[in-house]
Amino acid sequence: MSNTRKRFYNALGIGITLLIWELAGQYMGDALLAPPSSVAGTFVELLFESDMVLKLIGSLQLALAGFGLACLIGMPLGAMMGRSAVIDALVHPWISMLVVTSVAAILPIYILLFGTGDQFRVAIIFTASVGYIVLTAYHGARGIDPKHIDVARAFSTGRVDTYRKVIMPALFPYLITGARLGLVHALRAMIVAEMFVISGYGGLIFHTGLDISTAPILAYLLLLMAVSLGANMVLQRIGQAAAPWYEARMQRA
Amino acid sequence: MGGLPHIMADVTLDTKHTSPAGWRRVVAFSSGSALIYVLSFLIGVAVWELIAAQLPGVVFATPSEVTGRLIEGLANGEISGAFVNSLRHMIVGLALAIAVAVPLGFLVGRNEAAFHIADPIVNAFFAIPSVAFVPFLIVWFGLFYEGRVSLVFIMCVFDILVTVSAGARNIDRAMLSVGRSFGASRWHMFAKVMLPASLPFLFTALRIGLVRAINAMITAELFFATVNLGAYLEEASARFDAAGMLAIVFLLALFGLGAQEAIKFLERRLLPWHVRN
Repeated sequence: MSNTRKRFYNALGIGITLLIWELAGQYMGDALLAPPSSVAGTFVELLFESDMVLKLIGSLQLALAGFGLACLIGMPLGAMMGRSAVIDALVHPWISMLVVTSVAAILPIYILLFGTGDQFRVAIIFTASVGYIVLTAYHGARGIDPKHIDVARAFSTGRVDTYRKVIMPALFPYLITGARLGLVHALRAMIVAEMFVISGYGGLIFHTGLDISTAPILAYLLLLMAVSLGANMVLQRIGQAAAPWYEARMQRA
Repeated sequence: MGGLPHIMADVTLDTKHTSPAGWRRVVAFSSGSALIYVLSFLIGVAVWELIAAQLPGVVFATPSEVTGRLIEGLANGEISGAFVNSLRHMIVGLALAIAVAVPLGFLVGRNEAAFHIADPIVNAFFAIPSVAFVPFLIVWFGLFYEGRVSLVFIMCVFDILVTVSAGARNIDRAMLSVGRSFGASRWHMFAKVMLPASLPFLFTALRIGLVRAINAMITAELFFATVNLGAYLEEASARFDAAGMLAIVFLLALFGLGAQEAIKFLERRLLPWHVRN
């Protein structure tokens, strides 16, 4: 299918959804589901006349702190697990457990441990994203073609150079994928945690939910969606720019 | 799907390497790796014990306290009763999500136009954390059973949809061509080619959906009216009872892992032709 055709179908999909939303919104009323026509106005209003953006930036800073920590610890850990069977066996069961653990279930215990402030949010975001980052790095490190390493050895490449010129380039696409995956979970955890203790952007969503009109909350969700999609696209672009072999490699994977 | 959901479907909970060669090895206890797993468990518990000993009891509990609380709660019905009740909305929500997402996933996966129409919408929904819909779900479905079912549904449906559509899209073309060149009827194509080719990714979708549903189950119990396990968690937190809270966290994690392994076991039993690893 040609690109124009794809674009056309994409636009069609968005158009149909907006139409259904508009009709359903008109029928159900603002209290149950505000139609896009009234959400658009509210969105602009909130954008300029409320602290919506500031709240989101504040929350995103904490999310980035938790996510950054998760990358810093998770990426090397995953890579080591992939290259060493002993480390893998020791750590893997706990990572598997971490990945299936529900973020919601650990909220109460983290409140006891960290209080309800910034520390709590960063800790939750870290816990929710680190497992995915580790597992993706692990799959990447495990999947490195032994032939490539053999070639390096045959040309008597040193340990450091093998790492820098063979292992890292092979791992890189997976690190980016892990980061993208981790970021989604970081943002999800951010909202879960903030809705639970009613603070930051998540608190804004939960509070507003109790008002008369659903237009503001839909505006909040749209902004959140835009940020999430945008952040993901940025990570993808970084991957493409820093490692042009990224696309080809991930397509094969 | 080109964007984010695609990588989610690929990597999320892809724990097929969790235990190399599967649980048979652990059960058989023959190889050295089983020993390492036991070691991993023991070291983990020891580290936990050490950390817990440093912290005051109201903040963190030792493994023995947590195990004790879990066994006690399961035996006297306090935890087990709540758990059985929790399963009700989880199973209904998951069943509804499967009923909607599997046919839709096939449609989107097998039809190019439908795929490109759905792609931006699925991406958009995927980018919004599901819990953020809770205020809506409260307005639409109330604070109780129906609300919880609706959250479980929302939290699983996109994950299943994405997995099924990615699987349906990647069905080996050669297989379909072989069927066609041998003049298979429509019914034959479906029953003898499409269905067997789909079962592996349907199992994957079920596995991903189930873990997500367990996650949604407890989320719903905390974010709507607190009931069952959610109520147990809340009460434990009001009493500063760390052991009680961790008991629930571990119960759910073990349930998630167990359910995942059970589906993998079924898959090996029912789809022996689909060799993993």
